[in-house]
Amino acid sequence: MVRTARPETTTDDFVEFAATRDPALRDRLVESHLGLAHQLARRFANRGETHDDLVQVASVALINAVDRFDPSRGFAFSTFATRTVLGELKRHFRDKGWAVRAPRRIQELYLELGRATDALAQELGHPPTIRELAERTGATEEAVLEAVEAGQGYRATSIDAPDRQDGTIASRLGDVDAGFSGTEDHQVLIQAMATLPERERLILQLRYVDGLTQSEIAERIGVSQMHVSRLLAVSISKLRQSFVAEP
Amino acid sequence: MSVTADPFRGDPDDPSAPPAAGVVELTVPVESDLLVLARLTISTVAARSSFDIEEIEDLRLAVDELCLSVLQGRRVGRLHLRFEGTPDQIEVWCRYDGTAEPADQPEGDADTDGLSGRILDALVDEHGPVTGDGWLGSRLCKRRVVHPD
Repeated sequence: MVRTARPETTTDDFVEFAATRDPALRDRLVESHLGLAHQLARRFANRGETHDDLVQVASVALINAVDRFDPSRGFAFSTFATRTVLGELKRHFRDKGWAVRAPRRIQELYLELGRATDALAQELGHPPTIRELAERTGATEEAVLEAVEAGQGYRATSIDAPDRQDGTIASRLGDVDAGFSGTEDHQVLIQAMATLPERERLILQLRYVDGLTQSEIAERIGVSQMHVSRLLAVSISKLRQSFVAEP
Repeated sequence: MSVTADPFRGDPDDPSAPPAAGVVELTVPVESDLLVLARLTISTVAARSSFDIEEIEDLRLAVDELCLSVLQGRRVGRLHLRFEGTPDQIEVWCRYDGTAEPADQPEGDADTDGLSGRILDALVDEHGPVTGDGWLGSRLCKRRVVHPD
């Protein structure tokens, strides 16, 4: 197999990019790490998404990683990029993954779980457990586990694929496209974030933008993981109130 | 790192004794379709230990990666997995049982430049090779994030 030579980059290049934001250097940094994006995309093969689609998701995540990487934090870009790209690929499958062989009740439960997960995460301030999801959806824990596996399972196809009836699975589920309000929500979120104390903003960024775990954040800022969890819950609650307060 | 006690040996004084509470052992032929059993097992063990759904998602990916890293491209033989869940953490040991040598792998599957290690770094708290009585394998550990009530 013929490989295309990719430019070599070093930590110094990231330091320079952080200072200059030079577009040409950015291109070189992205290009030099495209192999990592391809490798990580391949880890998600055989799940119904084409390799090209997965590479595209991984590549966009890689670009975001290059833009957000802070070399002064002292860890390698490949570590940060792996975490960022994996997070984006997981999100991609959570949003679009679908098991074609799963019974309809499992498909519908999987979609219901997605909504319940979002709602419970808002209410609880942390991702729900299987038991909490089972209680919310009225399903058994076993059914929830089955749906989670089916929803992210191998040999999957898109929710937009035609089924045996007219139309697609998605067309008959009757949910409003969340994208319609996305832009507006983003603006409200930016304004609400600005009202938070600096430390809470930092913790939110480390958790949801940089993808660090609560334990890693705790270590980074020198508090306990429990305290990070509390601060996250408080911050999310404040942000939620901002949305509720909007007319 | 290495472990001092062989996690697959069970009770040395009573080899027929069942695994301790919270321990699940699984043996699967090396077939990619059957790795689903490892994912289902880790999901179930993690759910019993009250891991949240994001942590379970990480663990499912991590177990896949652990198996790949132990197999190193082998396509025959068996994988032995041991899952030990407590309220605080989950440990998984994986070892290969067979005679096949590591094989060439398709580009992207091979552990080039320590890719498996970086993936596991992103997903779990600890991982690394382990040695037992005549075998080499890998272990991972993920601690549960404790959420305040």
